[in-house]
Amino acid sequence: MPIEDVLSSKGRVRILRILTDIGELNISEIARRAGLNYTTTNQHLQALENAGLIRHKKFGRIRIFRFNEESPRARMIRKLIDSWDANK
Amino acid sequence: MASLSERRYFSVFKDESKLDINYVPPSLPHREQQFNFLNHFFRFAVESPGKMAQRVLITGKIGTGKTVLSQRFGINIMREAQEKGINLHYVHINCRECKGSPFQILQRTILEFYPHFPRRGYSAEDLLKMLMEILDEQNAYLILAMDELDALIHSAGSDPIYSLTRVQEGRLGAPQRLSLLCILRQPEHLDMLDPSTRSTLQRNLIQLEEYSASQLRDILNDRVALAFRSGTVSEQVFGFVADSAASEGGDARYAIELLWRAGKYADALESPMVLPEHVRKAAVSIYPVVRKDMISSLDLHEKLFLLGVARHLKQTRNAYLCMGDAEEAYGVVCEEHDEKRRGHTQLWKYVKELTALGIVETEISSAGQRGKTTLISLPKVPAIDLERELSDMLHARKK
Repeated sequence: MPIEDVLSSKGRVRILRILTDIGELNISEIARRAGLNYTTTNQHLQALENAGLIRHKKFGRIRIFRFNEESPRARMIRKLIDSWDANK
Repeated sequence: MASLSERRYFSVFKDESKLDINYVPPSLPHREQQFNFLNHFFRFAVESPGKMAQRVLITGKIGTGKTVLSQRFGINIMREAQEKGINLHYVHINCRECKGSPFQILQRTILEFYPHFPRRGYSAEDLLKMLMEILDEQNAYLILAMDELDALIHSAGSDPIYSLTRVQEGRLGAPQRLSLLCILRQPEHLDMLDPSTRSTLQRNLIQLEEYSASQLRDILNDRVALAFRSGTVSEQVFGFVADSAASEGGDARYAIELLWRAGKYADALESPMVLPEHVRKAAVSIYPVVRKDMISSLDLHEKLFLLGVARHLKQTRNAYLCMGDAEEAYGVVCEEHDEKRRGHTQLWKYVKELTALGIVETEISSAGQRGKTTLISLPKVPAIDLERELSDMLHARKK
C-alpha cells in the first residue's frame, strides 16, 4: 500500500494513533475509540495488516491488534505519530 | 495558647500505610514453616516450568495470615522467576469481590495480561480457553491464587474448580501452565465439591492455626516499628492489643486494625503516645462485622442499602424492619447520594448477599402481620456505629 493511501484515510490514521497510544486492542474497542463502525474498522484493519503495518493475535473469537514491531515501516509510522503528538 | 492555624500537627504515625490491610510485609513472623511449604510445593515453577502444574489449598480462620502468606509468596517467586528469565505470573483474585462468579474471576485474570481485553460477549468456558491460549502465546506460566474460595464454591459449586484443575487434561503434550493456590476460610465448604475435585485440592493442604497472644505480639512489634514513630507505642500497649486480639480468636488483622484505630484516637486527642485508654476506645468502636475490609468490599449500592437499613433501625429503635421499609430507606439514601436506585430484585439479591456475609439476618414475618415479608435485623452491630462507618466511607468516596 503506498504511503498516501495509508495517510489519506482519517480512519486508518486514527486506528494507528490508537494502537500507538494503547498498544494492543480488540476490534470493538478500536471501533469505539475511533468513532467508526465495526465493518469500516474491520476493513481498515485488514488493509493495514495487508500492508504489514499491524498484526493480530487470536484468542478464541477475540482478535487483538497491535503494531507490527518487525516492520521498519510500522516503526517509522509509530515514531512519526509519537513525535507529532509530542510537538503539539 | 497557640491558635489553630499556628498549632503544629503531631502524629504518632510514621507511615500509616504499613497498617493497611493490603500491605504485604517483607517477613511473616510465625508463618516461616508454611512459607517454606509453599516454596517447596511450587519449586518446579522456577526449576522446571511447564513440566507440571500444582494445586495447593490454604485454610485457616479469619486473620490467620492466609492472604498475606500467599501474596508474599507470590511476590518472592515472581522475583525469583524473573531473575531466571522465566515468564511466571502470580495473580491474586478475591472470589468474594468477584461475587463468586467464575466469569469475573477469569476475566480479572486475563485483564492482568491484556488490560484492554473486551469485557463482555463470552462464557467462563470461553475465557478459560482464551486464558490458556494467552499463556501459550506469551510462553507464560501462571499461579492463580483464588482467595475467599468459599464464595466461588457457594455460588457456583464444583464445576468451575473442576474445570480449572482439569484444564491441562485436554492439552496433552502441551506445557503445563496453570497452577492453583486456593485460599479457603471454612474447610467445611470443601464438602460441597465433588469427590475428585476435593481430593485434588486436599492433596497439598496448608492449615494455618490461630495466632497466640505472644505470636501476635511479635507481629505487632514488627508493624509498630514500621508504622509508628519511635517511643509512641509502649510494650504495655501492644501487649494489651495482642491480648485483646488473641481473645478475639487470634485474629492478626483485628490486632492491626485495633492498633491503627488506637493511634487515630491518640492523634485526635493530641496525645504524644498511644495509651491503653486509646486501645479501649478503639476496641469499643470495632465490631467484627463493621471491620473495614468487610464493608469496603461491598458494592456501592450494597453500602447504600445497608446505610438505609442502619438509619431506619436507628430512628425507629426497632429490632427489625420489613423489606418495604428497607427499600424506602434505601431510596432516601440514593437521593441523598445522587444515585439511581436499583429495583426490587436487585435489592433482594443484596439482602441475600449481606445475609451470607453475616452482616444482616433475615426471617420471614410470622402470623399477626398481613401477608408475608422479609424482616431484616442487624444482630451483631449497633445501627449507629454501622451508619457512621458507612457514612464515612461513602463520604470519602465523594471527595
